[in-house]
Parts: sequence; C-alpha cells; structure tokens
Amino acid sequence: MSGSAETAPAAGATAVDGGSIGAGWRGAMLALGLAGLAAGLVALALELASDQDDALPTGLAVLSSVVGWAFVGVGLFAWWRRPDNRVGAIMTATGFAWFLHSLVAANSAPVFTAGLVLQNLAIPLAFSLTAFPTGRIPTRPERLVVAGAWVWATLLTLALALVTVPGPGEPENLVLVGDGGGLESTFRVIHESVIIALAVALIGALGARWRTSSAPQRRELAPVFGAGAAAAAMLAILTLVDATTDSTAASNTFRALTFLAVAGLPFGFLAGLVRARVVAGRGMTTLVQRLGDVPAPGVLRDALADALGDPSLDIAYWVPEAAEYVDAQGRPSPLPGPGSGRSWTPVEREGRRVAVLFHDPALDRDPEAVRAAGAAAALALENARLDAELRRRVVDLRESRARIIAAGDAERRRMERNLHDGAQQRLVGLALSLRLARRHVGDGSPAAPLLDDAADELAETLAELRELARGLHPALLSERGLDAALPALAGRSTVPVSLVATPGERLPPSVETAAYFVVAEALTNVAKYANASRAEVSVARENGRAVVEVRDDGVGGADPAAGSGLRGLADRVGALDGRLEVRSPAGGGTVVRAEIPCAS
Amino acid sequence: MGDHPGVAGTVLIVDDHAGFRRSASRLLEADGWEVVGVAADGAEGMRAARRLRPRLVVLDVHLPDGDGFEVAARLLAEPDPPRVVLVSSHELGDLGELVRRSGAAGFVTKAQLSGPALEALLA
Repeated sequence: MSGSAETAPAAGATAVDGGSIGAGWRGAMLALGLAGLAAGLVALALELASDQDDALPTGLAVLSSVVGWAFVGVGLFAWWRRPDNRVGAIMTATGFAWFLHSLVAANSAPVFTAGLVLQNLAIPLAFSLTAFPTGRIPTRPERLVVAGAWVWATLLTLALALVTVPGPGEPENLVLVGDGGGLESTFRVIHESVIIALAVALIGALGARWRTSSAPQRRELAPVFGAGAAAAAMLAILTLVDATTDSTAASNTFRALTFLAVAGLPFGFLAGLVRARVVAGRGMTTLVQRLGDVPAPGVLRDALADALGDPSLDIAYWVPEAAEYVDAQGRPSPLPGPGSGRSWTPVEREGRRVAVLFHDPALDRDPEAVRAAGAAAALALENARLDAELRRRVVDLRESRARIIAAGDAERRRMERNLHDGAQQRLVGLALSLRLARRHVGDGSPAAPLLDDAADELAETLAELRELARGLHPALLSERGLDAALPALAGRSTVPVSLVATPGERLPPSVETAAYFVVAEALTNVAKYANASRAEVSVARENGRAVVEVRDDGVGGADPAAGSGLRGLADRVGALDGRLEVRSPAGGGTVVRAEIPCAS
Repeated sequence: MGDHPGVAGTVLIVDDHAGFRRSASRLLEADGWEVVGVAADGAEGMRAARRLRPRLVVLDVHLPDGDGFEVAARLLAEPDPPRVVLVSSHELGDLGELVRRSGAAGFVTKAQLSGPALEALLA
C-alpha cells in the first residue's frame, strides 16, 4: 500500500510478474515479438535486395533492423513488466514504425510509394518517449514538440511524397502529382528544416525538464534523456549532412552513427531499469551496514535517504495510542495530502505499523526498493519509534502543563473580576452609605462612634479584599500589560526599586503573568529576607525570549529549593519552556533570572 | 461641606455600577454638590459632559467600553474642559503611573469618596 500525491503509482504497475498475467496476454506479447522479428527480416530483405543507387550497404541494413528489434524487444519487456504504463507500448510501436523506412528501398512501385508516405512515423513515436517514466508527457513544451513531430511525419512527409521525383534506380512514385512541378527541392528544404528545428526543440525541452527534476527523478531519467538527446542531435546532424553533401560515404557514416544513437534509446531505457536496481542494491548493503549499531534518528534518516537516493526523504513514526504519526521530535506529522507533491510508504514490522517514509513520488515507480529499505531499517525504525513516542508524550505533558496553568490563570482572572464587580462594589456602596449616615448623625449621638467603628472595619475589609484580588490576578496586568503593571508593583515594594526596563509591548498573556509573578515573588523575598537597601527590576524581550531579572544588594544566601514560592514559579516558567535561576552567593546579593520563550 | 445643594458645583458621575452611581450621588448631594447627571459608560459620559457642561466629572477607571484614562484624555481635550477626578475600587498604588499621566486632577479610592475629598483634589 503506497500513497502518492502526484501520479498514481499503482502497486499493479510493478507487482506484476509473468505468472499473474493471463496466458492470452503472454501469447499476444509473444505474437508481437515474432511479428517484430519478421518485420525486421522483411525490412532487411528489402534493403539488401534493393536495386536503387543509394541502397544501404549490408552492414548498415543489418544495423537498421537491429535498431528496430531493440525497440520492439525492450518495448515488449517494459510493457510486460508494467502493462499500465504506456512507455513500453510506445517503444514497441516505435520499433515497428522504424522498419517502415526500409519500404523506400523496395523495387516495387507500390511498396516504394507507401514508404515515401510512411517512412518517418518512427520519429514522432520516438519523440513520444518523453512520456518516460510515467507514461504521460508531463510538460507543455514537450507536448508541443511531439505534436509538431506528428505533423511533420504525416502532413509534411505526405506533401513531400506528392512532389518527389524518383531518382536513378528508384521505382515509380505512384502519388506523384503531375511532374512534381519542380517543388521537390523546396519542399525538401522545408521538410529538413522543420525536423532539425524539432530535434533542437526536443533537446531544449528535455533540458528544461531535467533542470526542474529532483535527484531521484534525475537518476531515473539520466540514461533515457542522455540517449534521447544524443539521438535527437544525431538526427539533426544527419539531416543536415544529407542535405549538404552528395558523398554517399559521408552520408552513410553519419547514418551509422545516427542508428547507433537511436539504438541507444532502448538500451538507455534498459540501463535505467538495471541501474535503479544496482543502485538500490548497493544502497541497501550500505544501509544495512550503517544501521548495524543503534543509529541516532538523524543518521537513520540520512542512511535511508542515501540508500534510496532521495535527499528529501523524511520519516514519521506511528503512535498507536494517539493513532497519529509524529516526527523524531514527537511533533504531529500528518501524511501528505493530494497535490503536495509528496508520496509515502508505510513500514511494518511483524505485522505492526512502525513508521512511514515520506519521499519523492519518483520512488513510487520502484516501490520494492522503498519497501526493501523500510524492511532493512525496520528494527532501527522501531527503536526510533519508541523514542519518538516518548518525545511525543513529553510534548504532550508540556502542552498539558501549559494548558493547566493557562486554565488556572483564566480562573483566577475570572475570580478577581467577580470579586471586583461583586463583593467589592457592594462594600464600596456600603462604605458610602455609612458615610452618608454619619453625616446625618450628630457627633454627640451614641450612634456616631458605632458608625465610625463600622466605617473603619469596612475600610480594613476592603483593603484585605484588594490584597486578595491582587494576589489572584492584578487587573492592571491583563488590561495594560507589564509596562503598566510593573511600575505599580515596584511602587508598592517596601524596598526602593528601580525599574530598569519594561518590554514596551504586550507579550503573550501566559508570559506576562509568569514574568509578573516572578517579579512579585522576588520583590516579596527581597523585602522579607534580603536585608537589601535597594533592588533593580528589568523585563526585556531579547531574541524571542522574555528575560526577567530582579537583583538586590542584600545578604544573599537564598536557597531556591527552600521556599515553595520560587519553586512554584520555576514550575510555572518551566511549563512555558522557560528557565528560572537564582544566583545568591552569601553576602553577594541575589539575582533571580527567568527566561521565557515568547511564541509570537 | 455646605448643607445646600449646588454650593460646591455641578458634577457628572460616570460608572458602570448602578449601586455606586446611586450612593455616590446621594453622598455628594449631601456634601453640597449638584449631581447634574450620571452615565454608565465612556461614550454616554462624553455625550453627557458635552450637554451638561459640569464643573467636575467623577470617572471610573474601568468602563465597559474602554478605560477611564482614555475617556479622561478625551474629556480634557475638549474646549473649556471640566475637571476630572478618577475613581476606582483599586488603590492608587495598583494603577502605577496611569493616573498621573492621564492629566486628571486626582484620584480617589471609591470607598473614600466624599465632597471634602473631591474639594481637596480640586483646590
């Protein structure tokens, strides 16, 4: 089971072996093979029996048939291996079409004439091999070049045939219109110019696709593109040579070179298949060696990337309890969606899901290699999976700790607000009413001292309530941030405090709250224990972290482990992925320093 | 201090708590102020101040539609502005520098509000 976001890789494309294919299919393949053999022999016979002045020498005639057979043979092999990929079929058709150009060597007028019309059909078919490796021609320039080649091989070739006056020793051209009107040389120049232009355009289009290909794609494309570009170049050169020289020897030399270059296409295709296997095999050996010891997660990824020749390869590990994939750091790593241009292959070990490899879609055409690499690395992946699962739990715990603190903060803020809007307001109203009542009671009245006592009592109560609300959550902090809340905090301290720096901007609420309480607790400790004459507070944003520092010139010797206040703050800061440290050498003052990452 | 309403001057009370508006009005009337209006939020307070042109606006620092410091700044930017005294159930120390920077004539903790307290700030 393999997923792809780009082209359908289809397990069927590669899981096929001879046995799973019906006998009818195999028979058809065999019949096509025999037909190809026969067609090549007929072509060879036509060439050798030709009475024409420029008939091919025996060696070239044999080479020509060998080229056609190579296309048919390799094409059928590829077709048989991957029946739903059209490249094999195209290559087979190219082979058959190749033999058609030998028709012009015939001594019979009808066969010769058919050759004039059909001789170039192999060219657009060969151009269509740009559909390698997916079976679809991927880019617009390539499609245009192929379409141009079809127009050239059919319409332009037909037009040329209609005006071609047979040369010495050639049979009659049955489709010659009149005497050709002397158009043959003009038509021939056009015909030759167009195919040279198309060959050059094909090379350009292949180059453009090469530049945008990934490393695994290039590894796959290299032999076929190399051979294709060489064949196209030779085709252009041969056409040029044919057009500009009358020397049969020169022409035949270039013809031989062109035949060899064209023959390179099927063999390049074959080499590509074999090379992928060899590279995969060698990569696998190295992979197994590299995984000998317990590898670090990064090493494991690199080893797999090297073995499969895909630098973009990534690993995600399966966490059954959460039913999700995570990366090596334990962060969620979802499968790539459609259109992401990425593919993935799961790795199982003893029937259980272990990991998934995210890779280039080019590897989908060799899923056995990906699966083999996954299988070779399965044990190492299982170990790394346990590690990732643990990290995920750590991530989870850290997040839940932060959530708990945030929820606690929200609850405290809510309580503070309720206190402020409820009890506090009612008591304020009561205080004002008492004062009003006192206005109406003369100083001599026995009720006067009672009302005064009640007013004092109420003032105390309100003061205590304010203290309680402040401890729950300072309203000023949530409304105005540290820039407003820190001066208020410094102002209430019994030890003179100089506020050296404030952030100058709002920070995330949880960071502001933590920073505020660090300063508040530190200043409380300064007042209670430090015997200091002054203290300095600074809260600043540095490199995405809020850095909180409270220092005093007191007696030092504070033990952060002893007071529950500072330890609680260390927990709060830790929940935000920050650090709290206390430096308090005896007699050297105390520095409380917290660093808290600011998410935004 | 006076026993006659209107002696000390006109006052507008802006606070979102109806209970406070009521008891503050009664107390300030008793202390000789003429309470010309009350408002429950900043926008209403601005409109009332323009219409009633009180001598003094008693303004809560915490309002449903913003905070009193901003309303104070806007009030004081008006032509021939009223005096402004900020009130809160918090203490002055809980508000840091904000009161001083607001340009208001002063601050009274709500529970300490009285005619004489206001007059001391305005003197």
